Order: sequence, then C-alpha cells, then structure tokens
Amino acid sequence: MEYDYSKLGLSTAELFSKQEHNDLDSEKITAPRYSYWSSVFRVFFRNKLNIVILLLLAVVILFAYLYPVFTEYDRFGQLLHEGARHLGPAAAIEKFGFSIKYILGTGASGNSTFDAVWNGAGISISLAFICAAINMTVGVVVGAIWGFSKKVDMVMTAVYQIVGNVPNILLISVLMMILGGGFWTMVFALTITGWIFIAYAIRVQVVIIRDREYNMASRCLGTSTVKIAMRNILPFMTSIIVTMAATEIPSYISSEVFLAFIGIGMSEMSLGRLIYEAEAAMVTPGWGFEFWSPVAVSAIITIVLYVVGQNLGDASDPRTHM
Amino acid sequence: MAKYLLKRLFYGIICIIIVVAIVMVLIYSLLPKQRIFATDATFTKVLNNTRETYMNQKWEDYGYQDYVTYQEYLGELVKRGELDEETRESVAKLGDTAEKDKPETAVLTKQFQEEYEAKGYTVTRLDTKKVGRKVVNGGNAAMFATRPKPLTDRLWKYFTGLLSIDSIHNVEEDIPDRGLTFTLYDPLAEGKFSPAIIGNGTTHKYLLYFDSEFPYIHQNIISIRLGMSYSVSSGVDVFDTMTRSQGSYVLRQVTFPTGLVESSADNLHTATYMSGSRDSNMVAKDRFTDDYTNVDLYRAGRSKLGYSFIMGIISSAIAYCLGLPIGLLMARQKDKFIDKLGTVYIIFLIAVPSLAYIFMLKAIGTRMGMPTTFDMDSPSKLIYVMPIISLAMPTIANLMKWTRRYMIDQMNSDYVKFARSGGLTENEIFAKHILKNAAIPIVHGIPGTILFAMVGAIITERVYVVPGAGNLLTEAINKYDNSVIVGVALFYAVLSVLSLVLGDILMATVDPRISFSTKDR
Repeated sequence: MEYDYSKLGLSTAELFSKQEHNDLDSEKITAPRYSYWSSVFRVFFRNKLNIVILLLLAVVILFAYLYPVFTEYDRFGQLLHEGARHLGPAAAIEKFGFSIKYILGTGASGNSTFDAVWNGAGISISLAFICAAINMTVGVVVGAIWGFSKKVDMVMTAVYQIVGNVPNILLISVLMMILGGGFWTMVFALTITGWIFIAYAIRVQVVIIRDREYNMASRCLGTSTVKIAMRNILPFMTSIIVTMAATEIPSYISSEVFLAFIGIGMSEMSLGRLIYEAEAAMVTPGWGFEFWSPVAVSAIITIVLYVVGQNLGDASDPRTHM
Repeated sequence: MAKYLLKRLFYGIICIIIVVAIVMVLIYSLLPKQRIFATDATFTKVLNNTRETYMNQKWEDYGYQDYVTYQEYLGELVKRGELDEETRESVAKLGDTAEKDKPETAVLTKQFQEEYEAKGYTVTRLDTKKVGRKVVNGGNAAMFATRPKPLTDRLWKYFTGLLSIDSIHNVEEDIPDRGLTFTLYDPLAEGKFSPAIIGNGTTHKYLLYFDSEFPYIHQNIISIRLGMSYSVSSGVDVFDTMTRSQGSYVLRQVTFPTGLVESSADNLHTATYMSGSRDSNMVAKDRFTDDYTNVDLYRAGRSKLGYSFIMGIISSAIAYCLGLPIGLLMARQKDKFIDKLGTVYIIFLIAVPSLAYIFMLKAIGTRMGMPTTFDMDSPSKLIYVMPIISLAMPTIANLMKWTRRYMIDQMNSDYVKFARSGGLTENEIFAKHILKNAAIPIVHGIPGTILFAMVGAIITERVYVVPGAGNLLTEAINKYDNSVIVGVALFYAVLSVLSLVLGDILMATVDPRISFSTKDR
C-alpha cells in the first residue's frame, strides 16, 4: 500500500534508500577516530568562559612568578622613610609618583602592598601545587590499593578513623614548633596526614566500581590486577581525580590563610601571613587596602583555580564527549 | 542492631584511647619541654639553683614528670610518723655540699636518695653557689628527685580519673561527723520545700539540690574531669572551663551559713572543701561555719560551650531550612537560572578562603549598623545575628551542593523513569519518591551537625570576639596548656565517634532497607 509521506513532511528518499552491498566496505571500521584527551580539551574549550578564566589564571600565575623576579621586594626597604607607612593608593601615588608598585598603597613598614601581594601569591600558589601534587599522588595510589584489597581495607579504615580524629591544628602546630616554621615544614605538615582523606575518597570510588560486571568479565578472562587497575578503573576515575584536584588546590591556599590567621603560619611572607599581619589595618579607616588586597588576590586565585578544575573535571567525563 | 551498635561503640572507644595516646605523644614527647618558659616572666627572674628547681616544679605542674624535693620528703616522713617536727626543722637545711651536711642530715639525704632511686627516680643534688663567701642570688643548695611520666602510666591515670565520684572519705583532714544528710528543706532555700543531699567529708557540700537555674536539678556526685588547666584558666578543669558561665557578676541577697546577709554573687550550692580556709581567711570566717568555702560565682553570661552551641544550633537550623529547599529547587530547575545562580554561590563559598568572606560579612554588617563585636553584658540579641549568618552561609552552600547532587543522581535512576511512565506527575515523583531517597544521606549528617555545633568555629568566634569554645584549642596550644589540649582532643574525638554512630541509627530509622545486623539481611 502506498503511504502518504507528505503528511509527515518528508520525502521517500529521506526515509530509506537502497544500498548496494559490498563485502570490502562492510569490513571497514567507519567510526570517527576517538582520542580521549583531545575530546577532553575539545569539550573544555567549547565553553568560551573557560578560555577567559584560563587566561585570567595565566595572568595571575605570570604575575605571581615573574613580577617578583623583575622587582626587588624588600619588606623593610622604606622602614626609615617617615610618612611612607599605611598610605592609600592615591596618597602613595602622589608621594612617590605614578608607578604600578603603588597602585595598592603601602603597608605597615612603608613597603609597597602590590609587591607584597604578588610575592605572597607566588609562595601560596607554590605551596598549594606542591601539597596537592604530593597528596594526590600518594592518596590515589594508596586509595587504589585500599579499595582493592580487603585486608588492607580493614587496617586502613582503622588508621583512617584514628588519624581523622587527631585535631589537625594540633598536629600542624606541633610540627611547626618542632621543625621551625619554614615553607617545607608547612608542606610536610599539610601532607603528613592530608593524603589519607584523598585516599579514603578514592577508596570509596574504587569499591563502587571494583565489582562491576565488566571488571568481573575482565578477571574471568585472566587479566592481571595491575592491568585491571590501569586500564579498567583508572580511566573511570580520571574525572573524579581531576574534580578532586580542583577542590584540593584552592583548599591549601585557604588553609594556609586560616593557619596564618590563628598564628601557626610560615615564616615566609605568604598571602596568609600578609592577611594575618594586616588584620589590625582592616578596622582602621584608610588602611583598608593593606588588608583587602591580599584577601582579594587569594580569593581570585582560589576561584579561578576551582572553576578551571571543575570544568576540566566535567570535560574529562567521557559522557560529555557526545 | 543493639549488638552491632555496641561493637561500633567499643571500636569507637578504642579509637578514642589511641587518639588521646597520639596527642599525648605529640605534646609531651615530641615538643621540647623548655618551650613552656618561652613567655614566662618569672623564669627570667629566677637564677642558678632556683631556676633549676623552678623549672622542675613547672614541669611537674604541666604534667611532664613526677618531682619530689628533699623538703617534701621530710614532710612526708613527718606525716608517716617516722620523724618528729623538731628533728625535721633541724635537718631541713642542706649543707653547702654533700660532705658538709650535718651527720643526721646526711643520713636522711642518703635515705631519700636510696628510697627514690629504688622507685626509678633520678636524684639530683645542687651545691650552694658562692662568690667568695657570699651566696649568689638563687644559689642555695637543693636536692630533688625527678621521674619522667611514662605514656602508659599517663594514659591509665587519665582514663581512670575521667569520672570522679564524690565520697565522704575525700577530705583528708580529721573532721567530725562524716556522712550524708538528706533534707527536704534545703537550708539555702529559706524554709521552702526543696530536697537536697548534703555531705560532710565529701569534696562538694551539696551533692544533689534544686534551684531556679536551668536544669533546676543539679548533682555534684559524679563529675567529669578532663584535665586540670594550668595556664588557660588556672586550676580549673577543662570541662568546667567549657561549661562554666562567664561575664559580669550577678549580685543577689545571700544569707551565709553564719547568718550574715549580704549582696553577693556567691553560689553557695557549689561550695567545695578547702582545707584550713576558714581559719586563714577573715572573709571566710565571717560567712561560713565550716571549711566548705570555695564557691562559684553567679555570672550573667553563658558558658563557652553555651555560646558556641546556641550559635551553632541556630545557624544549623537556618542552614537546613534554607539549604534543603534551595537545593531541591536547583535540582528541579537544573541548568536554568536558579541552578546557575546557586552554583555561583556554592563556588564562591567553597573557593574563597573562609577568612575572606567572614571579614567581608563583618564589613557589610558594620555598614548596615549591626553590632559586630560580641558583648556578653549587652541585653540586645542583635549581637548574635552576624556570627550566626557567618556560620550559616558555608553550611547552606554545602547542603545545597549535596542536596542537588543526590537529587540529580536519583532523577536519572530507573524507578523514576518507571514512575513517570506509570503516569505520575512530576510533583508526585519528586515529593514521594526522589526526596525520600535523596534525604537518606542528608539525614546521616544531622547528628554530627548538632554535636559539632558545640565545638564552635575558630574564625567566626575570633572575628566577632565571641567567648565561645572554638578558640579553646588554639589558645591552649599557644599557652602550652597540655592538659587542656588533651581534654579538648578527647572531647572532639568523643563527639565525632558519637555523631557517626547516631547518624547510622538515624539513617536506619529513616530507611527501613538499611539494617546493620547481619541476621536481618
């Protein structure tokens, strides 16, 4: 019976057409080539907002690492310069002439706030990246083993409960007191127990997918555990790991600020220490710039890092690659 | 279920003990003990031998070691009846060096040395330091025995001393008529009916009594001892430091046991025994008829825990009331304007250092004319507003994040598709199916939120100068108050174990599918 295709608004040709069968062609795999990481970046850059934020991140990192190289930062350089202390931006520019150095005014010892902020930002960003790198590496490796082995699971769960209950502030402050408050001590203090929380989160994910059917099938076919971990489970975890790193990296900057604020800071002039030392300036009218500049810069850094990480995490989920 | 929970609690207790042990190792063994003198003004004034004895005395006070001086040993001998008072006075003074001791002193110093070395002490004798014939400042001879406290000892003593039960044999002196009296008319209630148990020979005078203060019935029979504070609030137990009310005194007409009526802040119900205090103190002699003279004072403010708890609980209530509905709305309007706006808020609070947004809130509050410096004596309730908002904001963000996540996860599951194909409206699906399933993990966190409201928040309390419990740990660390550190660490550990177990119980009550006993499965 002839169907009235015009009702559907489609022509016959659009619905079906006869194809000649060809043995050679039917053997070809015609699916488009798929590369995981290029798909990740394709999805990531599809969102124009990501490009803007990535540029902002690049600017922040460049400033934090290159600006201190080109400008000599001497905290007490203008200590004896009467009337250079606690100046607002307008007053500082009037006094010293226009220079990028003084667009944020001067601090308690007459030093440029702009210089101080970028010096501090460099230290804080280094701390965050080093701590995150150590914690994520150890955490992911231990978490994978923890999730796979039932015996390790028993032991590690007990360890986790105990370590999780030792007050973190106490541990960090004791370590800072024993080893002195340098940069590497802070790295040590933040990583000595920090990895276990990441390992626990990874362990939960591993336990969820460990006994899925495709892994069982893999095991039945005789695949080694290492290969299952590397080929079956790790790709599944990529987006989780990236998302985690996105929350981890800014969290170290935040906790450094927090620790400095309660008096367990590093001896280096990090952003946290700047905020801690300028705390009194916050309530003094006219001195606000000393306090708010490091706060604003740390907020910008953490937000940018977080958003980039989150969106990269979303992009690394293969389900978004359609 | 009960068996499972008991097992969990048992593991919890073991975990707590190990945590306390680790904390003790951290502060007693790893930290150099010279540190406690860093900010000590007396330390710089005492010199030579006196400095040695001063240091050792302090280390005993801070709980590092056992420390006995030769003079204390003589006092002990007198108490035991092996020495009479006159001989004690004659041998109390040590010679310049061991060779120059009087013969009877030499016998006793030797005895002291032998007795304490047998107990594992190290006995030190410091000779008199002289310049020419003159003894230098603080150069007098001294002799003492010290022994570092082993960890196991310290742990055992700590945990056995956690609960102290008052008994009529607590007072060491000879006092007549030890015993308990039960009375229906509390002498302090001025003839009104008010039952009370009064002890003589106990540490507390009133063991059980009623009064007009919340919770109206009070007991002093069992008290919790988390460790005696040394520098944070000298001589007061950590538990009392956290629970004792603060602020200015509240004066009221008080009739003292001698009949003296006076406007005073003394809370006579809290009287504890202080040996010999009535004879040595004229003020006490005028007011009290016995040595139960050490009383707490009525104060206008709440305790540290009280302030933290009130703020914590109100902010959590607000957070649940706002965070849950907003999270639900975000899940329903996924990828629409509200969802995006909420996500911006969440990102802001997660990514910005908490210090930054709390300061920002404080600045906004000041602009709006809100009080931002906490004052215990202020009658205005407005001082609670800004700290509560600061506490609630991150909790709201967290709840929004997780509610949205759980709801969206549930929305993609098969039973929702089935319900939809069965013809249920979206509202029915959300209210009757998704919400019930998504609420389970959220319910698990409620006990933890309530219990940890007591702990307080370090930054919020500092920024708004709230006299809460949040800063106790950092304060104790800064002042090297070791027993407070241990006490607070124990308190935190207990709260975290309890909140996990309670969360599991609540979760099992809400969701009948969850069962912890293997039999039910």
